[in-house]
Amino acid sequence: MGKSSRRDFLKIAVVGAAGAAGLPLRARAAGKTVTFLHETSFIQTFDDYMQNTLVPAYKKATGVEVVYELTSVGTSPTRVSTIIETGSGADIAIIFLLYPFLFADKLMDVSDIAEEVGKESGGWYPSAREAAVVDGKWKAIPHSNIGQLMNWRTDWFAEVGVKKFPETWEELYEVGKKLKAKDHPFGFELGHGFGDNHGWLYPLLWSYGGHEVEADGKTVVIDSDETAKAIDFARKFFKDCMFDDVLGWTDVSNNKAWMAEQISCTNNAESILWFAKRNFPDIGKVTDQAQNPAGPKGRFHLLQCQSHAIFDFSPVKAEAHAFLRWLMEEKQLGGWYASADSYYQPFLHAYDNAPMWQVEPRNIPYRDAMTSAHMPGWPAPPNRQLAESVAKYVIVDMFAKACTGTSTKDAIKTAETQLKNIYKAA
Amino acid sequence: MSIRTESLITVARPRRRAISLALWLDREAVFSWMMMALPLIFLAALVGYPLVYGVLLSLEHRSVGKPATFIGLENFITDFHDPIFWRVAVNTFVYTIAATLLKMVGGLALALAMNQHFRMKNLIRALLLLPFIVPTVLSTVAWMWMLDPAFSVVNRLLIAVGATPPGPSWLGNPVLAMFSIIMINTWRGLPFYGITLLAGLQTVSPELYEAATIDGASGWQRFRFVTLPLLKPIILIVTLFSVIFTFADFQLVYVLTHGGPQNATQLFATYAFDIGMGAGQLGLGASVALMMLPALALLIVALTLYMRRA
Repeated sequence: MGKSSRRDFLKIAVVGAAGAAGLPLRARAAGKTVTFLHETSFIQTFDDYMQNTLVPAYKKATGVEVVYELTSVGTSPTRVSTIIETGSGADIAIIFLLYPFLFADKLMDVSDIAEEVGKESGGWYPSAREAAVVDGKWKAIPHSNIGQLMNWRTDWFAEVGVKKFPETWEELYEVGKKLKAKDHPFGFELGHGFGDNHGWLYPLLWSYGGHEVEADGKTVVIDSDETAKAIDFARKFFKDCMFDDVLGWTDVSNNKAWMAEQISCTNNAESILWFAKRNFPDIGKVTDQAQNPAGPKGRFHLLQCQSHAIFDFSPVKAEAHAFLRWLMEEKQLGGWYASADSYYQPFLHAYDNAPMWQVEPRNIPYRDAMTSAHMPGWPAPPNRQLAESVAKYVIVDMFAKACTGTSTKDAIKTAETQLKNIYKAA
Repeated sequence: MSIRTESLITVARPRRRAISLALWLDREAVFSWMMMALPLIFLAALVGYPLVYGVLLSLEHRSVGKPATFIGLENFITDFHDPIFWRVAVNTFVYTIAATLLKMVGGLALALAMNQHFRMKNLIRALLLLPFIVPTVLSTVAWMWMLDPAFSVVNRLLIAVGATPPGPSWLGNPVLAMFSIIMINTWRGLPFYGITLLAGLQTVSPELYEAATIDGASGWQRFRFVTLPLLKPIILIVTLFSVIFTFADFQLVYVLTHGGPQNATQLFATYAFDIGMGAGQLGLGASVALMMLPALALLIVALTLYMRRA
């Protein structure tokens, strides 16, 4: 008995293992599985909606299985680079900021989807093109912007007689001076995080008329009177309104400082209000949000676009394309946006007055900021050199250096040397 | 008869072959290579290939997903013209030298203390290993809280003993930030030094101490002329390991400061990662990472020579 049952077990095990190994292969070959890579969302319900509502709905409608694969926050750049390098791993992925430009060669042209969706959903914001069109072709479909705006404490601002968020940087500076004197300093990141430093420093530079390169993406123009003015402002803004720690901050720091009631104003995504409302309701009540202040040359925001791209080497390109097209229909996309309140700001005008904006009207400035948002390095289109400048924190460190005592001239000089070194091959 | 002969031949033939194969395998040259083959394949695949690939990458202009072009030493020339690169080089040396010295002195003291007899000796020895066992990322996050301006235990203690609130900005001030990462690295690496040196101490024969005591040697002299010379080979080996780990440190800086403020804590490994992964410049990133090699190679050769002579 022992012998025969053992043999039977072996047979079953071997057949079973072979079957299991063969299954995904067969399914892939038949084009029935599309792997869709995302970073874990800050808003849990957003991932749940995809997993529990959209994926089953698509399976039911078409028979195609979508595998919604989540990678932890911050790991997407490494994952996407690996996928591009090895030519395998996922079929569609969410990609951030400069990636449509860096990886354009390996991404499928999805202009047809973009044009159709644009027609159907009220048209794209111009910033969508800025974020996803490479050499005249849409290399990704913008999903949303995660705007960086001003978060401010209404109660402390009121203590110095301010009821409405200041319109200009200079006005904000005056308020900050008073608030720091009352032990409620501002906290704007000047360290090596990723979003919260660029989130206010690029807009500040632009609002004074400064740029790192010309629109040609080659000529370095950081050494200008406009840049100098922006730096001079940042220096006094740091000295009179903030505290030293901001120099060493990373992206988590201002959120922590906010919940610790240590700062009265910062620049962040909607997550600060979202988190405060759930975990520190008293702080949530006195938190408000506003667009960035204006400078002499206008008001600007940083475009932090995330888009869906299809890898050109995917064996199920057609299925991935069909899924993305389906996903962009208002029925699906609207529900998905709504599952995260307005944490993800749509690039399509059809959603301008969607009910999700009424869930928390304090988020509306994030929608309005979309018209004045630009990619880092604007007015130049993003390229390999810009990515290097961002990764080397050239602009951030130029401001940070000036805030810690380097003269404006020297801070600009160092940045210029670095930028010329980076852009010399462009 | 003939049948028997045939059957003998058929049986004998394969046996002879088997014997000769066994003999061949038994030869020392063959057997030793066989034993070596697996580790060699492993080394070639896991160390050799990445190293060679890294060197090749550093000689290419290579962005993620784009075809490579061979550019010779241009990446290295770019590095030499990059002011941040020199800052990173200085940082890495300061970090490695300071942290290694602190770990060496502290580790030796720790080992000497642990070599004494006291109650619950084994438990305490085991507990000492904790900083080394806890994953770096986890312990670094704990340090992040301890050095946090709002919640800093360190600053609260300092204020309690008379510092002016809110206390120093540990990660915001460039000098203090470097000091902080050196301290955390020392904290993490100390047990490795301590336990290894403790193992060395325990091999020192008590008779030598007795002889020295009879000759009238003081406590310091016993340490200086008995303990230290006997420990030297182990100190050298631990230092070698420690220098390599510290020089190539990544996690601590990546989690705590990401190289900030203003590159004050940027090291070769984090800078190479930012360029290679952040900017997608694999070639340039590899060239930065490879710059660690000459310094480390020099050190390893020097230490090996010194040990051979000793």
